[in-house]
Amino acid sequence: MAGQSNPDLSVFSAPEVEFLAEDEMVEIVPNIRMEALNMICGDFGPFFPQIASKVPLWLAVALKKRGKCTIRTPEWMSVERLTQVLEAERESSREFQPLPFHYVEISRLLFDHAHDDIPDLYMVRSLIEDIRDVRFHKVETGLETISGRTHAVKLKNLSAMEVNIVRPFMVRALQAFYRHDSPQMIQQPRTMGGSRPQAVDRGPRRDLRPR
Amino acid sequence: MKARSVRLREAHKGSGSASHCSILWDLDGRHLVTASASDPSVSILDVSQPSKPAKALQHHRDGVTALALSANPSSLATGSIDHSVKLYSFPDGEFQSNVTRFTLPIRSLAFNKSGSLLAAAGDDDGIKLIATLDSSISKVLKGHKGSVTGLAFDPTNEFLASVDAFGTVIYWELSSGNAVHTLKAIAPNCDAETLPLNVLSWSPDGETLAVPGLRNDVVMYDRDTAEKLFTLKGDHERPVCFLSWSPNGKYIATAGLDKQVLIWDVDLRQDIERQKFDDRICCLSWKPNGNALAVIDVMGKFGIWEPAVPSCMKSPTDGAPSLQAKNANGHFLFDEDDEKPSTAGSLDDAIEESHGESTPLSRKRLRKQSVYDDNSNEDSDGEEGLMRQIESHKRSSLKHREGVRVAKEECVTSSKWAKSKMQEAFQPGSTPAQIGKRRFLAYNMLGSITTIENEGYSHIEVDFHDTGRGPRVSSMTDYFGFTMASLNENGSVFANPCKGEKNMSTLMYRPFSTWASNSEWSMRLEGEEVKVVALGTGWVAAVTSFNFLRIFTEGGLQRHVLCLNGPVVSAVGFNNLLAVVTHASDCLPSGDQMLEVKVFDISEGTQPVGCHLPLTPCSYLTWFGFSEEGQLSANDSKGVLRVFSNQYGGSWLPVFSASKAKKSEDENYWIVGLNASKLFCIICKSPESFPLVMPKPVLTLLNLSLPLASSDLGADDLENEFIMTNLHLSQIQKKIEEFSAAGLNTTELDDEAFNTEAAIDRCILRLIASCCNSDKLVRATELVKLLSLEKSVKGAIKLVTALKLPMLAERFNSILEERLLTVSKGIAAAPSLATNSTITNNTLLLRASPAPEITKVVETASASASLTLPQSHFSRQGKFEKANNMVGGIEPCKDPDEENAKIVFNQMKSHQPINPFAKQSNNQEKAEERRQRDVETCKDASKGNPKEGIDQVLPKVTSVGISNDGSSQRQSHRPVNPFAKASSNHEKSSLLDSIKKMKKADHEKNEKVNNKKARP
Repeated sequence: MAGQSNPDLSVFSAPEVEFLAEDEMVEIVPNIRMEALNMICGDFGPFFPQIASKVPLWLAVALKKRGKCTIRTPEWMSVERLTQVLEAERESSREFQPLPFHYVEISRLLFDHAHDDIPDLYMVRSLIEDIRDVRFHKVETGLETISGRTHAVKLKNLSAMEVNIVRPFMVRALQAFYRHDSPQMIQQPRTMGGSRPQAVDRGPRRDLRPR
Repeated sequence: MKARSVRLREAHKGSGSASHCSILWDLDGRHLVTASASDPSVSILDVSQPSKPAKALQHHRDGVTALALSANPSSLATGSIDHSVKLYSFPDGEFQSNVTRFTLPIRSLAFNKSGSLLAAAGDDDGIKLIATLDSSISKVLKGHKGSVTGLAFDPTNEFLASVDAFGTVIYWELSSGNAVHTLKAIAPNCDAETLPLNVLSWSPDGETLAVPGLRNDVVMYDRDTAEKLFTLKGDHERPVCFLSWSPNGKYIATAGLDKQVLIWDVDLRQDIERQKFDDRICCLSWKPNGNALAVIDVMGKFGIWEPAVPSCMKSPTDGAPSLQAKNANGHFLFDEDDEKPSTAGSLDDAIEESHGESTPLSRKRLRKQSVYDDNSNEDSDGEEGLMRQIESHKRSSLKHREGVRVAKEECVTSSKWAKSKMQEAFQPGSTPAQIGKRRFLAYNMLGSITTIENEGYSHIEVDFHDTGRGPRVSSMTDYFGFTMASLNENGSVFANPCKGEKNMSTLMYRPFSTWASNSEWSMRLEGEEVKVVALGTGWVAAVTSFNFLRIFTEGGLQRHVLCLNGPVVSAVGFNNLLAVVTHASDCLPSGDQMLEVKVFDISEGTQPVGCHLPLTPCSYLTWFGFSEEGQLSANDSKGVLRVFSNQYGGSWLPVFSASKAKKSEDENYWIVGLNASKLFCIICKSPESFPLVMPKPVLTLLNLSLPLASSDLGADDLENEFIMTNLHLSQIQKKIEEFSAAGLNTTELDDEAFNTEAAIDRCILRLIASCCNSDKLVRATELVKLLSLEKSVKGAIKLVTALKLPMLAERFNSILEERLLTVSKGIAAAPSLATNSTITNNTLLLRASPAPEITKVVETASASASLTLPQSHFSRQGKFEKANNMVGGIEPCKDPDEENAKIVFNQMKSHQPINPFAKQSNNQEKAEERRQRDVETCKDASKGNPKEGIDQVLPKVTSVGISNDGSSQRQSHRPVNPFAKASSNHEKSSLLDSIKKMKKADHEKNEKVNNKKARP
């Protein structure tokens, strides 16, 4: 959490989340022959032209910027898959469809840097935007259900960006409820003052468990 | 409709009982052929001279059950209960040949339309398809459970329909011999021994198949889908036993078990005429050129029903509609005179039907037309009909002239199957032309050449996969229309085929980078067509339609023109090698291509390889090329990839099978290239079998795997790896031979060979482990014999001891001993008195020691070892060097095989204590101490605790291996180790003891060891 821009808010900024997403692996098709790259995070390559290999997104984007490869669109980023996901998202108001944890960021990065490698770019982009909107809306409506009796909220298949958006509100709301419910237990975080965000970040669930 | 009685005459004197009789009109309606199952003679009756006695053909020894007539050449086939099928010339009835024999009576015969194929079937299993030209059996179609009683060729020669006694109808595809549709129990069940026989018949246009149905009706089935179209149901009270289409397909005559013969209008689906007989009619035949129907009953009496179709209706032979047709209002539209040309025309039609493609179409039209007719649209039809009639007359007379020639050709070609044509020439890595789409002229591991046609000229682009390294090549506008191209690092070659009269075949070469300007060149070939082009370092080759192999230099100099043995299939170049595939001969009747491959060394002017190119049955060559290492490879349409290997004096090995590797059905592998262990291909989604230029195809790597039988071992991967690495090793060895012959430095290759050997040993060790696990001890022993390094054998011994197989360990030990013995015998002349067990370790270690003479000894030893040891390859010395490097003089733990053994141990989840033993040799003194202790405990264990005995074998054995190491090291480093003298003696004796106990070593060995002991 050292990289957080604003430790008080316990939230990542969008670029920070994107930075985290750059570690996701994607498939590239290099158009050059290149020896293996030995990085701290691992060894990638060697690369042969026209033979697909897996690299982290940041490396893919770096190579792409230099015109050394094409990025293969992830399997979930096809029009039919996204259409299915969108339909399913619209159908069930409570559940989220499984998508990559960083789907918002990955698609954003690919749209920015590898738009020429994505078939049906416009369609894919609008589908992903739709899915994102539907899901954000769902998250927001879901928050309304939090009440005094809520001790934990279970959100399956939530993506990084979605979590990031609701995190401060969710945590504080739960804390507030908590505080009203049993004031003596909340003493501790209050005394901790400045270091509160860290404690919060470790998860309110843990605090909840004793109850 | 008045019923006219048909007078029947006796043709065959039966035994008085009912028997199946057959009747046929000849093709010009002058003769009738009859046969009876109770009479061995076949009679040919001239209808025009009824008084003349019938000609009797008496060649069969038993009743004749089946007759068939063919148009070209006019011949009669007869099938009999005496199991034979005979062929006669017709109409003179000369016996020609016994076409085939069955083991059981024949029930049915059929000629195809052109007469090139005869189908025969009966109570035997399988329908025989016989090429009449040479009476060879071209196919046997098996699938019927009961005896086959009816056969019918589709008029367009695509299908054969057959029906058996159980009423099952099967559509056979003639080109492949596969059953396309099987319709179970749709016809009445009948016993072949008794009567009736099931029959079936195609309509003359081939669109429908008529089969007697189960409900006393006739059911029509669709040609392509085998779906039930409609039924003719009417006045038959019992099942239909025979049916026959009128020549124009408008009518159908059916005979039932109820002794009736009905004539149906197929379009109206209504019976229009009927006749009742005294006996059951078992065969019917329409006169091909007249309104008459010949019938024969079960008693062998035949008659001609004339006119069968009421004269008020269209003639059954009438190809053109509305002729002489009388509609419901009773108007004659045309004069009687018009009938004659029309009948003649339709006769020709009937005979020559199969020769023109237009005929089935016109037939269809006719049928539609007749529907209109019946709906009394006669006014508009009249003129059209006349026009058509004239047309058809013209056409048919034209056809008649051509007919003979065409038919002859057809006889020749259709006896082979349509599919089994000699394969066309192709350029490896090219895709078929597609309208409006870019396509590959060449695609290889280096790059691609693509073209797209655009208003009379093409646009050619050359792309390299490696954009970083490959030269940039500007795109080219192509006015020649190149269809062949080849590409390598230095340039590209293009060629176009001749188009039309004036266009000449052009060969063009474009270098990518050159110091001189205008170094592009082109050649024109007059009257000769380039079929395939290939490219190598410094040369360009083109194979032409004259079977010439033309070799040019890179600069355009014409160097050689060679003649090839046959039409070219493909050619490919690799450095200085050119491989050309040609047809060795016409393809086999089964459809197998006969291909031959030749490899030319352009720079040397030699031909290193010339052999047949094997293919999977019924497949053709789809890709041909060299692997990255320069191994000749070929892929066929069944997806089997073969690599040429020097094993067994040059043979092809199947290294990949697409059908086995395929994960899902809708994937096709389009081969691009391969290396020693991987296959590079483009995966295409079915139905596409080749890649498109856009989106850019991505190569997929697949592992090569031999099509091994599924073994009881369950270690297919290992077995595969074993064979593949062996193949790889043999390739390396071949290369080493070549290099050393050329006087080049082979060190690198030697290293590679050694590494490969080590890899094989590693693989063998794993195989031994799985053999032991599945209790295949003999196989494990065989594998041990294949190990090439002593260290690996020791590893194997450790392995089996860890797996608690002392018996096997003992065997392995004796194998090791034997091997060392052969080594020592080989070096008997050498002045070394080292023991057998220490010799190799000595050599390994002494090599590191500075004494030069000893090194020499070792070298001689290793040289002689290479002579005696079967597995050791001649680069033994290099191997030792390598081993030395790896061992590093003192650290045996780095030895690859020791490591292997460890890997295997870990894999086998064996006891932990083994590892320390393996490592033990790292530390001299520790090893020494432990060894002594081990030996002692061994002794104890052998005396006492029987439970631990098995476990104890393990350290004992390992101690043998390690103590050998230790002792030799000790010897060579004696001055370094202060305890050397005292302990080494002790150690020797303990070693001796252990060996004695375990292996019951022979005296000779003992002496040698004693000798050695005496020496220090």
